[in-house]
Amino acid sequence: MRFAITMLCFIGIASVIGTILKQNELYENYIIKFGQFWFEFFEVMGLYNVYQAFWFLVILIFLIISTSFCVSRNSPKILKEYKKFQLNAREKSLSSFKHSYEFPVKKFDFVKLEKLLLDNKFRLKRQIKKDGSLILSAKKGDFQKLGYIFTHLAIIIISIGGLMDGNLVLKMQELTGTKQIIYEDLALNDIPETGKLKTSNFSYRAQMLLREGEKQSVAVLKVKEGYLIQDLPFSVGLSDFRIKHYSTGQPKSFESDLIVEDKASGQLVKKTINVNNPLTFNGITIYQSSFEDGGSELALDIWNLHSPEKASKMESVIFKKNELVFNEKKYFFEFNDFRKFNILDIESGNKKTPTNVGPSFIYKVRNESGQAHEYQTYQFPMRIDKSLYFVSGMRKTPQEEYQYLKLPADANGEIEGFMIFRALLHSPQTLNDAIEKVVAQSFPEGGEKSQIYFEGVKRVMSEFVHGGYSQIASSIDPSISLEDQKRIANSYIKIIFLVGQELIDIYQLNNAEIDNFLFESNYKFVQEALTGFNDSFFYGLPIFLELKEYVHIQSSGLQLTKSPGQFWVYLGCILLVLGIFCMIYIQEVRLWVLKKKDKKNVLVALTTNRHRYEFDQFAVRISQQIRKILN
Amino acid sequence: MVFKQLFNYLFIFLMLMLPTVSLFKFHQYMDIYEMFILIGTGITFIVIGKNWQNFRYLVLIVLILSFFSIFLYEGNLFSGEKQFVLKYFLSSQSAIMWMCSLYPLSLLIYWLYLFKRHSFFGNFASQLTWIATAMGFIGLLVRWFESYLISIDVGHIPISNLYEVFVLFCLVTALLHLYYEEKMNRKELGAFVLIVISVAVGFILWYTFSKGADAIQPLVPALQSYWMKIHVPANFVGYGAFAIAAMISVAYLLVNKGILKSRLPSLIILDDLTYKAIAIGFIFFTIATILGAVWAAEAWGGYWSWDPKETWALIVWLNYAGWLHLRLVKGLRGPMLAWWSVMGLLITTFAFLGVNLFLSGLHSYGEL
Repeated sequence: MRFAITMLCFIGIASVIGTILKQNELYENYIIKFGQFWFEFFEVMGLYNVYQAFWFLVILIFLIISTSFCVSRNSPKILKEYKKFQLNAREKSLSSFKHSYEFPVKKFDFVKLEKLLLDNKFRLKRQIKKDGSLILSAKKGDFQKLGYIFTHLAIIIISIGGLMDGNLVLKMQELTGTKQIIYEDLALNDIPETGKLKTSNFSYRAQMLLREGEKQSVAVLKVKEGYLIQDLPFSVGLSDFRIKHYSTGQPKSFESDLIVEDKASGQLVKKTINVNNPLTFNGITIYQSSFEDGGSELALDIWNLHSPEKASKMESVIFKKNELVFNEKKYFFEFNDFRKFNILDIESGNKKTPTNVGPSFIYKVRNESGQAHEYQTYQFPMRIDKSLYFVSGMRKTPQEEYQYLKLPADANGEIEGFMIFRALLHSPQTLNDAIEKVVAQSFPEGGEKSQIYFEGVKRVMSEFVHGGYSQIASSIDPSISLEDQKRIANSYIKIIFLVGQELIDIYQLNNAEIDNFLFESNYKFVQEALTGFNDSFFYGLPIFLELKEYVHIQSSGLQLTKSPGQFWVYLGCILLVLGIFCMIYIQEVRLWVLKKKDKKNVLVALTTNRHRYEFDQFAVRISQQIRKILN
Repeated sequence: MVFKQLFNYLFIFLMLMLPTVSLFKFHQYMDIYEMFILIGTGITFIVIGKNWQNFRYLVLIVLILSFFSIFLYEGNLFSGEKQFVLKYFLSSQSAIMWMCSLYPLSLLIYWLYLFKRHSFFGNFASQLTWIATAMGFIGLLVRWFESYLISIDVGHIPISNLYEVFVLFCLVTALLHLYYEEKMNRKELGAFVLIVISVAVGFILWYTFSKGADAIQPLVPALQSYWMKIHVPANFVGYGAFAIAAMISVAYLLVNKGILKSRLPSLIILDDLTYKAIAIGFIFFTIATILGAVWAAEAWGGYWSWDPKETWALIVWLNYAGWLHLRLVKGLRGPMLAWWSVMGLLITTFAFLGVNLFLSGLHSYGEL
């Protein structure tokens, strides 16, 4: 028993390690976290998958063996005792019990005594001994000891069930080399026999990713960093995958319409599964476990942020790559995900509430030297600080948070206004006109001073257009006092803002039919557009992708489980609960009544194997009742 | 006496009738399991009520006031902020706030009783605990109703996130305490048990005011199952009982050192109570974990995935299994077991709260 408890302690400690150390992550992440040395050490120890590590299974097996020994040794004793009434108890030993009462009786009424004991749920046996004395042995609560057998049997059954569903067989096959884990991405036809598991495989938890409209009859079993292919006795087809939403936008259900066809009999089953409603077919249960994009088609507008031309078009598909030559530089786009719904905390009134802000797409852009940034761009503008912005997040590594480029929506809620504004900044003619107007406000009479001022503003604007505020900052003479630097910077910002306003006014004057700038005042828009324009220099990419249209195609992630141990685990659980009930709530009590032939006195003795203070009360009460009856 | 008899019959009648009426009226919103749970709840209440008269009064008062609150809402969620009685007493948020203020108050009075030993304080503290518990249950029931007012598809039983289960924890712990208090006919232990409850109340308040956790959120798909109605309450009977056991063990350790010895029950009684609390907690925790496994098999595709919450449930289970084993089989008693039961509460708290805080996994329903 001590051994079994040590094993249980080991399991406990191993379990704690398994929860603290995140299990089944990518090996790269572990290397980053622990360094090469400890990574390898932990790997040898099997700590990345504690619960399927060799030593963990060995402990489980030891636990089963040791508990089995325990049960097989003790059970016969317990069962024997169940039948046995100790009628040969001697007066001497009985009177030495803690609860032993001796009192005189007038009339020894057996019927009444037995009735009292039976009413108290005792089982009885009596005997007249050779010396003429009469002994009555009673007991109750034998099930307490059966509780012992139940709980220990339960632990064995649960462990065996767990082992049945573990990967012990697979581990053996791996050790003997009959199965080999595949680590590269192979087409189904290229997978060697050693990488395939037959339909007869005893138990597994495999995954299947199905595109809408697709049909498959194999699943993937992930093992360590690689995988094996699990052949199935049926094919699974996905006719549709849906995500239903609450009115607030949070997901309400994930549903897959499945068509399952048995290979042998051709039997066809159609069922919609969702998270709490799996489908069981031929002993294999199919669960809804995840979803991802199945190759959605995107139609995009490509805007150059740093030159004035209009948008060009690009079409792409999620999980595909696009190559783009832009300003004589090559960019490689990898589209990784499309999300039709995005729930973000968005202001409504004074509170922030989770709101669906519409579709977004996630892509990586690599430049010629292989450097990559990741982007998440939202299709529709969203409300931030009471203004509408087109938002696109950028990050350099997956560990970082996104940094957001926010471009203001125009009066129509479109991005076009910003893009016109950006083109105006890049158009020398309009820019000159605007600057002239600003200069004229300060120097209505013109003259030499106004000429100098004009050149100054022009220089500032040119620097802003080609590098944003930071470029201007770097042009301010660093030898003057900080105070002055600040003052100059502020005046530059003010001038840029005034020019910006003039740009739009001039444009509006010449293009009366354009309605992108029909604001009450363009004050806010110009401010936001200038900030956006400035931020675009930190976007890591001179291109803004605008999602125009999409065709949403999804994949549903299914899990297929064959779990023959489940029945045994459940059976063990029932036994366990029964056993605990017996052990805790049943008290074993033994009681003797002894009357010597020649004596007037009767001896009542009680004992229990587990002493509790309620037993003391019970012993006193029942002995008093016996006394009363016999008097 | 006749009145009481009549009342008891009425109670049984109500516990059978209300579920039946609900079945007739709302059966299209329930699956077969939920119908069984509904009927089963009524029967469970009858059984508990049979052994515990005050429980019957509690159920009835909670029902009456909850229905009154629902009546006042008139089907409009905003009534909760306008209607006077709702705003200050019977909206779910106010009722829970009443609970939050009454538990610490009764803790105070339990301590007063411990020192003054005047039965007035004892009874008063007890009654406050009853009232707080009633308000808490009203709060949860009304919250259940409010969730349906938000939208019919948002509606769900309010035991789905950390805020709601903390309220549930307070209520279950208080009920268990009140039961033992009545059976023992001694009120001193409230001074200890109410500490745990008051700490939980502190957490609720912090969680409400700094994190806005009291907002009703719709259920994530994995939680949309009748299993939640069984698994979660069973678990919290376990947690509550373990918490009580730990606090009684604290009393045990004090008495063992001679502190408050003359004012607290004897070591034997304290020891026995600890055992009873752990025993009942262990059974419920075992059942809850098993039911959780059955649910997991349905929702996640495996009865055991070594998810951090599952694993910690196993550790908690092993911990108390060890405790019971030592006591029952080896017959061990004394301060060692008391210390163990106090440590047990730390382990339980980690399984309950720490896993959500520090570890990620499938059970991430309440993050801070």
